[in-house]
Formats: sequence, C-alpha cells, structure tokens
Amino acid sequence: MNLFRPALVPVALALTCVMANAKPIAFSNGTTVMAEYGAGTMKEAQVFYAPRYFLSLGGGYLELESDVDHRRREIVYGRVNYLVKRWNMKEAQANIFAWGGLGQAYVSETNDHEVAWNAGGQIDYETRRVYSSFRTELHEAANFSHRIDTWQLGIAPYEHDFDSLATWFVVQGRNTTGGISEGIEWALLLRLFKRGAWVEAGFTEDGKLQAMAMVNF
Amino acid sequence: MNRRIHAALLLVLGTTTAMAGTIEMKVYGLVCGFCAQGIEKTLRKNPATADVLVSLEHQLVAVATRDGQDISDAELTRALTDSGYDVKAIDRTQRSLEEIRAGFGKAAK
Repeated sequence: MNLFRPALVPVALALTCVMANAKPIAFSNGTTVMAEYGAGTMKEAQVFYAPRYFLSLGGGYLELESDVDHRRREIVYGRVNYLVKRWNMKEAQANIFAWGGLGQAYVSETNDHEVAWNAGGQIDYETRRVYSSFRTELHEAANFSHRIDTWQLGIAPYEHDFDSLATWFVVQGRNTTGGISEGIEWALLLRLFKRGAWVEAGFTEDGKLQAMAMVNF
Repeated sequence: MNRRIHAALLLVLGTTTAMAGTIEMKVYGLVCGFCAQGIEKTLRKNPATADVLVSLEHQLVAVATRDGQDISDAELTRALTDSGYDVKAIDRTQRSLEEIRAGFGKAAK
C-alpha cells in the first residue's frame, strides 16, 4: 500500500486540493447531519442548519485518539460556518469557506475538562468529473493544540446528473498534529451520493477504515 | 360594447395562455446534485410551481407553472441567487418538462 504514496503526493499538491469533506454549508434552509469515522484516530458527528446559502450554525462532537501514545480528546463544540466566496462557472464551482467556534474538551492527560475553541477553512474546486479540496482546522485548549489538514482529490468515472447516482473515487491525505498521528495518513475512498444522501468508505494505507455518512434535508 | 368585452376576454385568455407553460433558466455552478437539491426545494415552495426539472449536464433549471400562474424573473433570480447559484438567462417556453427531457435524450444520440 505504501507504493501509491510517493506518486500521489505531487499530484495532490500540484492540484492544491482537497478534501475529505463535503461543503460545510449545503443550501439555504437546509439541515446537514454528518458522521465520520477516521481510521481509528478521529470520530466526528455534526449537525448544522443553514438559514442562508452562505451561513450555517450548529455543533458537533469530535473525538481524537492518538495512535502514537494514549492521549485522547473529546471535544463538544458550537460552530458558525461562512461561505467567504463562491465562483459559479459554466461547468464548475469553486468555494472558500471559513468557520470558528467554541466548546469544551476532555483532556486525558489532566483528566479534566477545558474550554476549547476551533477555527478552520476550506477551499474546493469541483466539476462533474473532478473534485479537489483542501481543508484545515485548528482545535485548541489550554493543554492541547491540534491542526487537522485534509486534502482530497476525487475522480468520477462518469458524469452524474441531478436524479442519478454519483460515484467518485477519492484519494485523501490527512495530517493531524499534536501527537495524534505521525505523518500524513493516505486513504482511498469510494463515494456515492444521490440527492440528499451521501456515503463514502475506504481504507488507509495501514488498512484502517475511513468512512463518512451525511444527509441533507 | 360587445367588441370591447370580446377584446378584453381575448386579452385575458391570451395573457393566461402566455403565463402557463415552462420557465427555462440557464444556471451556472450546477455541478453537484447533492448541492443543487436546494434549488428544487426552494422552487417547489412557490405556489405557482407545478414541477421542477434540474439538469446538471445542460446547466438548466426548468419550472413548470400551474395553469394561469407565473413566477416573475425577479422572483426566480432571487430564488436561484439565494440558493447560491448564478442565473444567466430566463426563457418562457411552451415545452413541457417531458419534452425537455426527451430533447436531452435526442441530443445525447
């Protein structure tokens, strides 16, 4: 599995991409519910409501568990997502999102709860055949600081339409700082979505499960 | 007097006929069905909407209106803009949504 890593690094970086994540705001008056299992080091669940297409409010739960030592974080947060800029092109769309929030975190080393804050951003570019994104987010409290960077590059074998099933093959790279994981964790994912339902699953180069499910309504 | 009433009736009927039908919009940014569902959701809320067709391939959003009803260009533009998309053109046609779909099939062949 390590064989594919050297070849993918320049491709991913050259495309400045992205993702692992869907857009933090789906559509106006829409609710998004998402759950993600990230290769044993990350579990996250989120619920957001978007009163406008450029703004969503909600909260989530993030659990980070180190694969280096025994440190663990359980972060509950509220968050505001904002669409900074969108480019609508004839056959493509690009976005810049930013977000920030506040919450509480359980820190295993001190066995205590601390006030935690988070901030992040995402840039993505998408056609019906190519998807790329880069997402970065920072989670901080008095006794920890973790930055999670996620790149995604997706290729669709066919062009889906509004009522048909969309299929994507996605390469994801993720780096979590602060002793949660060592180096970039690469994963190959199969993503399927139709209308408001989205599921994706795959494995990292170490054979760990990476999966996400999301619904918009 | 009768002629005036007749003319008025024709005007009303003509206007009604012109208002019934389909509104076809060229929309930029339509790349993902997962995201574009917001457009359909918004347009279906309009009481004048009978049905909605979204085609990512043709960058098209088509609204079939109920008999005798219309949605103004300003209202349509606002609905699409508030959904996060750019409207490039709005045309009123007499093609049904089924005919538009059938046209897609022919174009593909």
